Amino acid sequence: MFRASDRVAAEELFNACYPRLAGWVRRLVDDDDTAHEIASEAFTRLLARWSSLDNPQSYLYMIATNLVRDHWRKVGRERRALRAVSATVPADGVHHPAQDVEVRALIQALPDRLRRPFLLHYYGGFPVKDVAVMLGRPEGTVKADLHHARARLRAVLGEADG
Amino acid sequence: MDEPRDDVDIWLSERVKPLLPHPGTFERIRRRARRRKLGQAAIAAGGAAVIVAAALTVPPFIDSQLGRGQTPIANSSTTATPEHTHSRSPSPPPSSSSPPSNVTPSGPPPVPPNFAVSSVTFVSLTEGWVLGQAGTPGQCGPPNAFICTSRAITFNGGTSWQGGHAPVAGLPKGASGVSQIRALDGRNAWAFGPQLYATHDTGYTWTPVNTNGMRVIDLETVHHRAFAVWARCTGTGADFAANCTGFSLYSTPAGRDQWAPVPGATNLTMSQAAGLAPVPASAQLALTNTVGYLLAPNGDVYSGPITTGGAWHLATAQGIPAGCLPGRAQRDGVPSRAMLATTGTGIVELCATTGTGGVQVKTLRYSADGGRTWQPAGTAPPAGIATSLSGTPDGRVLVATTTGIDVSANTAGSSPSGLSWITVTGASVPGGFSFVGMTSDTQGVAIPANKALHAVWFTYDGGKNWVESPVR
Repeated sequence: MFRASDRVAAEELFNACYPRLAGWVRRLVDDDDTAHEIASEAFTRLLARWSSLDNPQSYLYMIATNLVRDHWRKVGRERRALRAVSATVPADGVHHPAQDVEVRALIQALPDRLRRPFLLHYYGGFPVKDVAVMLGRPEGTVKADLHHARARLRAVLGEADG
Repeated sequence: MDEPRDDVDIWLSERVKPLLPHPGTFERIRRRARRRKLGQAAIAAGGAAVIVAAALTVPPFIDSQLGRGQTPIANSSTTATPEHTHSRSPSPPPSSSSPPSNVTPSGPPPVPPNFAVSSVTFVSLTEGWVLGQAGTPGQCGPPNAFICTSRAITFNGGTSWQGGHAPVAGLPKGASGVSQIRALDGRNAWAFGPQLYATHDTGYTWTPVNTNGMRVIDLETVHHRAFAVWARCTGTGADFAANCTGFSLYSTPAGRDQWAPVPGATNLTMSQAAGLAPVPASAQLALTNTVGYLLAPNGDVYSGPITTGGAWHLATAQGIPAGCLPGRAQRDGVPSRAMLATTGTGIVELCATTGTGGVQVKTLRYSADGGRTWQPAGTAPPAGIATSLSGTPDGRVLVATTTGIDVSANTAGSSPSGLSWITVTGASVPGGFSFVGMTSDTQGVAIPANKALHAVWFTYDGGKNWVESPVR
């Protein structure tokens, strides 16, 4: 099912990429455990289709981006449900240890079209041309999306400061 | 000169702090992936049976739709022994002592034995990489049993190390091989000296960069760019940076290999007199967060922007002190006579001359205005031969020598009487050190001159105390 040589190669990739991928996810979610869960799930999906991938690292980040998005949606639903059943529970009942919380919330609010290239480029560190390949969009479109995403963040942060 | 950076820029440039996996994570993931793959294969087999059964009864036009451009589900899923189809370039396993492929691996890859560190780079206080030679020639690789260039990584500030992929290039031998490493962040890094290799995927793959026959003798990174000194050299063996006569500054955006000459800092030479052929010399780069500096082979200091590939210019407005020329290069490419380093407050230059009794006089000078004017900063302790110069963000100065490490008590430029020096413990290593560098005001790393020690040294208190970190 999974040949020894593939297993060694997969473990090498795991050792090289897991700490950074999990750290990358950690900046986007609320706690270490969730970050480990998402990183592990991304690697699980990668290994499940190991043989058919040309760029496993890009695939990892794409999966993780989608899992983070799913996590945000789930957490959002839970928070809304919690507010609905208990007026005494604070609106934001989840502890946010990182200083990224404000910006993270703003990223969550970005439309998917802008959020995915934003996360891959600025959080994942992928060059624009790689992001373009990963998302199947022209480089110019990705650049424009990044510009729009930054402009939105600046605008909202500016409003908050003001 | 520098692009303005707002809160969004600062936030975006924050580095990702690696999160180490719990023990056994890889094995759990592998088992989970295997179960899923088995499940998918079972579903596909069931699907194929349905299709085969349906093909017997469906009208012909459906069969024709399946016939071109589509693959039956069964064929695309039954990949019991797939070929490895990754497009990544071949690179050696992280260790010549890596387990054979028929043994189930567990835990991070080990550091290959006898790791002789030639270069170190830190991307954060916790994550650092070392490059060197390890293992036994003839038993390294694959792909080449005689290429033993290896990389080790720490994710905890030197407490422990693990193996990592390295460029498939041998030790420095004239124009070939690599010996030095610089990482911009955890993703983009370059190995050089004399050849140039780049990685843009955390070191998983390394790609050679064509330098048109020039040797890369120095390289530094900052923000989203890398700068390197390319030179025309004829040095042989390990002296890859010897006999260099023409120096040019090149730069590339991080994440891409688009090296281009930096205007204003190309074809630099050292000539004893106008009209005479250039004589062999060396050069050195030093970057701050806003400005880059280049110590040219004739002792001039050039400076320029580091956020773009914009032109650099001659910064020195006053004469170069007598004898303060870079001179020949050391084995790691660093000049042997004049050295440049940045601190958080300015730039420092060390001029090494031979005094009475053969003792080296290490004269320091300091510039707070980008190299335009300089003021004396005293002398470093006389013991040993200077090999490396470094500064801390708060302005103090460190000098690695063949007897140890000297650390200033005060900051450069803070006293008219120059720098004074503290007592350092833990750095009395036979042969001294070939490199010292500070990651922060308190944390720094040094490489011993004796590579057979298979270790690097760390300080966590600003250079007062140094401790050995075996790379194994």
